[in-house]
Amino acid sequence: MNNLCCGPGYASPTDAINAPSEKLLYTIAIYTGTGIQKPDYLATVDVDPDSHTYSQVIHRLEMPGIGDELHHMGWNACSSCHDDNSMSRKYLILPGVRSNNLHIVDTATDPKAPKLYKVIEGAEIKSKVDLSGPHTVHCLGSEIIISFLGDAKGEAPGGYLHLDKDFNIIGRWENSMGDIKFGYDFWYQPRHNIMVSSEWAAPNTFMPGFDLEEVGHLKYGRELHFWDFEKRKPIESFYLGEDGLVPLEVKFHHNPDSTHGFCGAALSTNVIHWWKDNDEKWQWEKVIDIENEMHPEWPIPLPGVMSAILVSMDDKYLYLNNWLHGDMRQYDITDPHKPVLTGQVFLGGLLGKAPKVNGVEVAGGPQMFQLSLDGKRLYVTTSLFSTWDNQFYPEIREKGGVMIQIDCDPVNGGMKVNPNFMVNFGQEPNGPSRCHEARYPGGDCTSDIWL
Amino acid sequence: MTKYKVKISNRGNTEYEVDDKRPILDELRKHGVDLPYGCKYGGCITCAAKLTAGNIDQRRQVALNNWQLDNGYVILCVARARSDITLEIGTESHDKLYRNPFLEPLKSYQLKADIASKEDT
Repeated sequence: MNNLCCGPGYASPTDAINAPSEKLLYTIAIYTGTGIQKPDYLATVDVDPDSHTYSQVIHRLEMPGIGDELHHMGWNACSSCHDDNSMSRKYLILPGVRSNNLHIVDTATDPKAPKLYKVIEGAEIKSKVDLSGPHTVHCLGSEIIISFLGDAKGEAPGGYLHLDKDFNIIGRWENSMGDIKFGYDFWYQPRHNIMVSSEWAAPNTFMPGFDLEEVGHLKYGRELHFWDFEKRKPIESFYLGEDGLVPLEVKFHHNPDSTHGFCGAALSTNVIHWWKDNDEKWQWEKVIDIENEMHPEWPIPLPGVMSAILVSMDDKYLYLNNWLHGDMRQYDITDPHKPVLTGQVFLGGLLGKAPKVNGVEVAGGPQMFQLSLDGKRLYVTTSLFSTWDNQFYPEIREKGGVMIQIDCDPVNGGMKVNPNFMVNFGQEPNGPSRCHEARYPGGDCTSDIWL
Repeated sequence: MTKYKVKISNRGNTEYEVDDKRPILDELRKHGVDLPYGCKYGGCITCAAKLTAGNIDQRRQVALNNWQLDNGYVILCVARARSDITLEIGTESHDKLYRNPFLEPLKSYQLKADIASKEDT
């Protein structure tokens, strides 16, 4: 580490790629909706191949109450604070989608055994800023913004909560939601003063479960929104139509000068690419279209359901999942207009192509994933959201979720399952739980932004 | 204030007295019944139970579609008792709460109240 004088993260994506390998990772694990009356928790997983507890959960931090449904999480600080030596990447913020509570966890005092530092109560958030259904956490300099998908009554479009570095509620971050109908994920690229946000649905729509008919009734999103980041208001929206049903995860290139970014449209199972053209206009196109697959027992073809995408730190590869088909894919996006499929592995899924991985029966399909900074190790989990799991993969109640690690070739492309790694959350002490998003203490490929 | 009896058929028919002004979830938890819950405003389905006898008022719920309502589901975090009632609780009662939406699509009258059609009923 050559930056001991500095703040958190790395001076550039290149420095991040050259950082030491991760030895620990954190993933949330849920009991909400499983029938087990225990709190959701933050699991510490040993990912150091030289450790005698490699590929095991080595610590569990339970939340104070039941029913949170922990889901995504984010850091209090990232590389956007790299030149601020008063900041450190110390706290992980764990929102409860159902409870609305924000759990602030200290991961720095003892990285193996994180401690709960503070809880911002869901009721306080509802009463002060009229928001519920928290999702994506990003820091911006020394402050924090979190997308919420609903108002206090669970109706769309919600908005953005603004916290200061000490986790006090400042208020709503946005000055206007414009004509935006739904919220979900967002990412920003400060050098271009742009933020892009996507659309899932109102909490009252997605929390109870998924109904295809509700997509037809426009209860789910199909637009991408471009924001003036400094003015904190939307400036342009793209209607993606049938190509962009339920646009979920949005990722810019890590290179802070780039205007290229990608969104995974979950139900259409397409990747949408956007960029700013030579006339300074934002453009979009569909660059990946995963065909539906036939299933012997299904009356209609089975969509892939691309619930997540990720861009490697060198901006060379895009990873995506097909939660229902059961495959993880790697695309070379050196030319972002023309992605090339370079790797694919099956892990569970409804097509029956990989019911067992490393000897463990997989319930669910590849869902969330986190890539090591050097691009070589992809950690994949299998649960999407408790109610949706219960609809598509009811056997996950008994089997729980798993975390699998895929070895990725960042030079020539290619993916294969690491035979030595398997964390089976079906074997947890309190019964089968379901793991979801993962983060490394040193920063990861889905949080750091460069100013 | 009116009191009603709640019988829980899948917990040995145990009976508890509840206040008709308060959510059944809160009343049962006060008696020490261990129940799942999430949002606590009727939006998320985590606390659903099956009503097999009696009447309740759950006008505040926004999570259930008509198919789930027809199968007797009740959102305990907002429902109030309107008579003595019998419930099945917990995930054991969820056999008809979840369906694969591609294998068993809903008819238009089975959708949520705000988008359901009336013609087919």
